[in-house]
Amino acid sequence: MNLSSLARLSSLSTVFASRILNRSIAFKPISCSSSVSVPHAPTSLNPNLPLFLRPPTFTATLSDLQKWQNWAKTLASSIGSSFTDSDNGPDSEILHRELNWLIEDALQNPKPLLTRNDSEHDIVLQLRADLGDLYTLWKQRIEKRRPFQYIVGCEHWRDLVLSVEEGVLIPRPETELIIDLVDDTIKQNAELNEGLWVDLGTGSGAIAIGIGRILGDSGRVIAIDISPIAVQVASFNVNRYNLQDKISVKQGSWFDPLIEFEGRVAGFVSNPPYIPSGHINGLQAEVGRHEPILALDGGEDGMSDLLHLCNGAALMLKPGGFFAFETNGEDQCLFLVDHMETIHHDSFHNLKIIPDFAGIQRFVTGIRI
Amino acid sequence: MESVVHSFVSPPDHRLQSQNFSAMRTSSMSPSPIAHRSIPSSRCRAEKPIVAAAFPYSHSVFPLSTPLSLPSPCHSKVLFARPDAGVNSETGVWAMQDFYSLRKDVEATSKRVEEIRASAGLEQLGEEVAKLEKATGSDSFWDDRSSAQQTLMALTDIKDKMNLLKEFQDQIDDAETIVNLTEEMESTDTALLEEAATIVKELNKALDKFELSQLLSGPYDKEGAVINITAGAGGTDAQDWADMLLRMYVRWGERQRYKTRVVEKSMGEEAGIKSATIEVEGRYAFGYLSGEKGTHRIVRQSPFNSKGLRQTSFSGVEVMPLLPEDSLNVEIPEEDLQIGFSRAGGSGGQNVNKVETAVRITHIPTGVTVRCTEERSQLANKIKALSRLKAKLLVIAVEQRASEIKQIRGDAVKADWGQQIRNYVFHPYKLVKDVRTGFETTDIVSVMDGELDPFIKAYLRYKYTESMSN
Repeated sequence: MNLSSLARLSSLSTVFASRILNRSIAFKPISCSSSVSVPHAPTSLNPNLPLFLRPPTFTATLSDLQKWQNWAKTLASSIGSSFTDSDNGPDSEILHRELNWLIEDALQNPKPLLTRNDSEHDIVLQLRADLGDLYTLWKQRIEKRRPFQYIVGCEHWRDLVLSVEEGVLIPRPETELIIDLVDDTIKQNAELNEGLWVDLGTGSGAIAIGIGRILGDSGRVIAIDISPIAVQVASFNVNRYNLQDKISVKQGSWFDPLIEFEGRVAGFVSNPPYIPSGHINGLQAEVGRHEPILALDGGEDGMSDLLHLCNGAALMLKPGGFFAFETNGEDQCLFLVDHMETIHHDSFHNLKIIPDFAGIQRFVTGIRI
Repeated sequence: MESVVHSFVSPPDHRLQSQNFSAMRTSSMSPSPIAHRSIPSSRCRAEKPIVAAAFPYSHSVFPLSTPLSLPSPCHSKVLFARPDAGVNSETGVWAMQDFYSLRKDVEATSKRVEEIRASAGLEQLGEEVAKLEKATGSDSFWDDRSSAQQTLMALTDIKDKMNLLKEFQDQIDDAETIVNLTEEMESTDTALLEEAATIVKELNKALDKFELSQLLSGPYDKEGAVINITAGAGGTDAQDWADMLLRMYVRWGERQRYKTRVVEKSMGEEAGIKSATIEVEGRYAFGYLSGEKGTHRIVRQSPFNSKGLRQTSFSGVEVMPLLPEDSLNVEIPEEDLQIGFSRAGGSGGQNVNKVETAVRITHIPTGVTVRCTEERSQLANKIKALSRLKAKLLVIAVEQRASEIKQIRGDAVKADWGQQIRNYVFHPYKLVKDVRTGFETTDIVSVMDGELDPFIKAYLRYKYTESMSN
């Protein structure tokens, strides 16, 4: 099979939406399908500037801010463990921590609010958002369960601060480990260190940027996403870390933008949608109600995209090339490894299942023969 | 707070009041009898914060800018011209008893200088200088630049120390001369005597500082510090107590003009805090604070109990040096570390979105554990936790006189804040007493406001004496 037929088939993927998994090759766009509507999709294609990068053009007195802070604290405290009990959401303690971080991001000098110095109450502080907006934002956080990272427009991930917004998956701490896996690999293999890497379904660009920062001088990354918002946000993040010469962000479906690199890719990484469709409704409200469903829903058993990636890895990687995929857990890991050993037994070796920090079997890695 | 305000409005020396506090005369507050209790020794430094703290809501009485723009008496001659020996300010004439008192001070200070010079080992210092100077004169001295630099720095240090010791002698000599002259002349020259009183006062301050710097000679003493405060068992009362300690240390740090930052704070359910972490940046912060490590006990009428029963609560304080990253070049084998991440259950990954990135690292051989929650990414928390763990292990190594972390005896590592070090009794009487040094004060309000220096100094002296007797 060549790439163009793969791409053509993938565009027909919705036809196979109700396909039963029978170890056949699955074709489904990784995060695209015009037939599914995107909830909370922003209308603007210009990425929103994260709160902490906005100019401090607003002002409020310390006492007014303290009023807001006390109101927000009380609101957070009133939650207790009710979110945790209902859908494993955040408890008051986490919400209090988020509130402090919101203050850090929103104020040019957050010290008077965060320390208990007996400062003058009528001093004027400079804000990056209107005080009224701060009320609205915290209300959204608690009442609408809007994710904290969308509230402040960024996520701290590894040593990066990445811009995120509705329509882009918030990078998870588990995924931080992929960079360590790549780091271990390129340290042992100079050829991979200077080669071409691909991050498929890049979202905010987290993995691509993480890899871009550890590759050698001639190493390059192509970051692909079907979603125009993701492409905008990833490009913004790449530019912010001044990696535009190293990382090219491309909009496209699956391997379409990669046709010219068939068999030449040194490394292939992805955190594809892997949650089984049936689980979507029961997700923590922050995730299920606000994050892009296309970045989460991996089809009936959550494996559609992962299986598609395996085929891609067999096609795209050069001999000795490395891949790492994130999965939903042990079952998916075992299935993937079994699939590769059966269907692609002559394509991969050194297949490994690697647990995340919580001990859940999370990643599958391997080497192209 | 009440008493602080009063002592401020009406200090015992009325000249201070008339010269520096006239701006406050418009205040409607009247001096009260309790005003004449002692003013904290660090009044100068504490003045501004106290003003701000005392009158946060009193804009109508006088604008906040007024007290802040008061001339600071710290550098005013008035303060220094008021000798401890005492001048009868009504007449400006030295009474005989003032002179005797001054003479006694001079004699005591002279003895102190003698003792300090003796214990500093002046002869040895001289020999050391001769040795180092000889080394710097050798032809090959600059062959190894970094060792040459070190030698030169050591030489400068010793010379500075010797100069300082000589200066102490010169000053006390001057004061003694004035006293002797006065005795011989059998008449008093007020200006001369005031000069002698000033010399003695300043000299004692310098001697205090010198002594303290001798006490702070531990390898990490000059570094910044990380303070961890953890509420003991006992719910809200203990959590409130932890919060009071947090405030106390933050105030102390501010008084020292250290950069003090509360980097992590976990709130209690009803009031107070479960735990907090303070970073104190500044020279010698760790040296001063290291003796604060231990259990702090409070006895008071519980504000959270309607019956107001007497309640004892505990909080633990842990102190580590805040070491710069490059000084932590100790390698700890990966297999010795148990790294735990708090990640609330479920399937994790895309299924969950929580900003819970806390990292907990245990050093398996010693059981020493650190936790870091304040950073916003897991990697950042892990890096910070690891450097805190290293700092903690290095300090334990020093305590155990082990040359490296590998030699730390795990069984000898005491519970992080096991030993009770200080009692704070609010009821039925007021007393703060250090269990180790026996130092005590009834001025519990000032202590809770960060007036810890007497306790810290007493402990440093105690530690020094202990180490000498061993």
